[in-house]
Amino acid sequence: MEAVAFYIIAAIAVFGALLMITRRNPLAGAFSLVVSLIALAGIYAMLRAELIFILQILVYAGAIMVLVIFTIMLLNLREEELEEPPAGKIKTLIILAAVAFGCYGIIKVLSGAPDEVPRVPENFGSVEKVGELMLTSYLYPFEIISVVLLVAIVGVVLLAKKVI
Amino acid sequence: MANVESLRYFLPELLLTALVLAVFLVDLGLKRKKVPIATLMVVGLLVSLYAVLKTPGAEGVTLFLGMVSLDPFSVFFKVIFIVTAVLVTLFSMESDEVEEKNFGEYMGFIAATTLGAVLLASSNHMLMAFLTLELVSVPCYVLAGYISRSRRSSEASLKYVIFGAASSGLMVYGISLLFGVTGSLSFEGIRDALSAGNPGEIIVLISLIFILAGLGYKIAVFPFHMWCPDVYEGAPTPITAFLSVGPKAAGFAVLVRMLHVAFSSSDGAAAYLTDISSVDWPFLVAIISAATMTIGNLLAINQSNIKRLLAYSSIAHAGYLLMGVVALSQLGTQALLFYFVVYLLMNLGAFLVVLNFRSQTRSEQIGDYTGLAWRSPIGAFVAVSMAIFLFSLTGIPPFGGFIGKVYLFASIIQGERFIWLAIVAIANSVISLYYYARIIKVMFLRGIDAEDLGGFVSSPTTITLLTILAVGTAVSGIFWGPIARWVSHSASLFFG
Amino acid sequence: MITLDHYLYLSAILFFIGVFGVLFRRNLIVILMSIELMLNAVNLSFIAFSRYTASMDGHVFAFFVMAVAAAEAGIGLAILVMLFRNRRTVQADDLTLMRD
Repeated sequence: MEAVAFYIIAAIAVFGALLMITRRNPLAGAFSLVVSLIALAGIYAMLRAELIFILQILVYAGAIMVLVIFTIMLLNLREEELEEPPAGKIKTLIILAAVAFGCYGIIKVLSGAPDEVPRVPENFGSVEKVGELMLTSYLYPFEIISVVLLVAIVGVVLLAKKVI
Repeated sequence: MANVESLRYFLPELLLTALVLAVFLVDLGLKRKKVPIATLMVVGLLVSLYAVLKTPGAEGVTLFLGMVSLDPFSVFFKVIFIVTAVLVTLFSMESDEVEEKNFGEYMGFIAATTLGAVLLASSNHMLMAFLTLELVSVPCYVLAGYISRSRRSSEASLKYVIFGAASSGLMVYGISLLFGVTGSLSFEGIRDALSAGNPGEIIVLISLIFILAGLGYKIAVFPFHMWCPDVYEGAPTPITAFLSVGPKAAGFAVLVRMLHVAFSSSDGAAAYLTDISSVDWPFLVAIISAATMTIGNLLAINQSNIKRLLAYSSIAHAGYLLMGVVALSQLGTQALLFYFVVYLLMNLGAFLVVLNFRSQTRSEQIGDYTGLAWRSPIGAFVAVSMAIFLFSLTGIPPFGGFIGKVYLFASIIQGERFIWLAIVAIANSVISLYYYARIIKVMFLRGIDAEDLGGFVSSPTTITLLTILAVGTAVSGIFWGPIARWVSHSASLFFG
Repeated sequence: MITLDHYLYLSAILFFIGVFGVLFRRNLIVILMSIELMLNAVNLSFIAFSRYTASMDGHVFAFFVMAVAAAEAGIGLAILVMLFRNRRTVQADDLTLMRD
């Protein structure tokens, strides 16, 4: 049962990702990516990551993708502006070689991964538990990320505003 | 040390954070803002520099439950970053590319980058390394595109953000694989797991390659150097100067700490570390180092834009600096730190000349430097300082760059394993002489009528700064003892 | 029976689809979305490792990756809008003002 669910969700995630990089129209790509991201949220739920599951839907599939779609609408690209020249042969070969090496390495290591699923307490990955961790051991990075976000906000305003 | 107790040791970082906020806020309430904001920046930076030097516990404590480590090594880099930021603030006052309108945001981003660099140099945990690398990168993306109406500037900024985001994606994937095989995110935890057993050689190699990709982008080494010439050319000149020293030093600081703490351990002999990861990463870094310096120097030869030329020269210097990492010895780390002191002086000096020349002639072409030395007494002074910086960058005695290079070569030769790298580096120094000497030759050429070009002037601030930097470059090549003592104290913590 | 391997395979596949997108596509919006996909693959591998080592450190890391992804997406799109105003293009091949 678990296996069936996993394969269905994984197939949706991969399919959405493939659609995203092959669609010529970025808007179609963005919607395929949303599908993929929501499927990933399902995987997180299977892995008992409650908080990340919620955030994946709210922040990723929600906020970030809305931002992307909004920008695509704002730019309002015409059909001829979407034309892309095909990639060169040498470049294709180099990329394929790099990807093959990466996949080989990943598959090689996976043969040694542990199979049994450890038992975890009932509230593993819950908002309460992860939140507790975040405000004790990881309090300091939690404060630092606020500076990163502040700088990003000011930067976006500075860059995207018209001359005022 | 727990979170609240750590705050006592955290004053410089808190001051820098307050400075970022203060600059953003002061900007909102002022009409003519260049002078007040620059004053605020310089005062704030100097106060936090004082705090860095006066903070207790600089002999090595870890703060915030192991996230940050405060030690002579991080103190060294904090001083480098803050001094760079002060100089770049003064440069920005001299530049005509930096408008009054968004000056507050501009300065705030320089302060934020400095804060990120200070935190990066002391991070002791993969999460901190990732987050603070982003804190260094995000303001730099904005600064590169700061001249929003310039098409070159926006192009530079976009290339920077695409390369940067993709390589930080690679890095964080590497971190996740390393987390999977070692079960730990702190540098010490990773070291303990790696030395305890052998958790999958290939996966450690792959994660290391990915992590090096993320950091290699930040320090602009081959093959992640492509963004560098475009960004350096398109960004405003003070920012180019800043990017070539501040973020690069930050990248090196975390690279050295990560490789020295997480991937190696001292194995009896006090002055050496041994690679414990079962992956021969010193060899990997040696290859990157040789490729980086060669590519940088060869591509620099044909440049006609001086900012682009200095970009390739800074790539080549990243290659030289990596030699100090490859050596994996106390001498190597000392050489790296020593070179950074000299590099700060000579590289910022060279960019100050570029900035001054640009504000006078609106040109960045090397050809336009013709006869600079004969145009006016100030022109002669500027040309002589530029010659000092360029000779020092080449590594010609008696300037600081020479001593720095001698240290780097000595560390490689002492290590005995990578003698070929020292030979490659010496060959590269000869190549670099060719293109640096070309600029010097052009400046002292008396071919054209200097009267036609008009006199060349510099502001008193520029002259003062140039004097300080040129004298520093020259003096560090003659009396290098104090710097050597400082860096040997700063480098000692990984060894013994 | 679903093991850790399955999750890591899925993560690797998604990651390399993202890398493919970054290297092959010329439309800058699609490149930015591909980078988002790469970061999501990273999150999946963190969460999977967390589940199988029974520690929640990976969850915290995934949280921070999301925050950084949001910051990067914001900055990237703002720069894209600025570029579009200056140049009327979103194609990487048109970024050729500076060449050797």
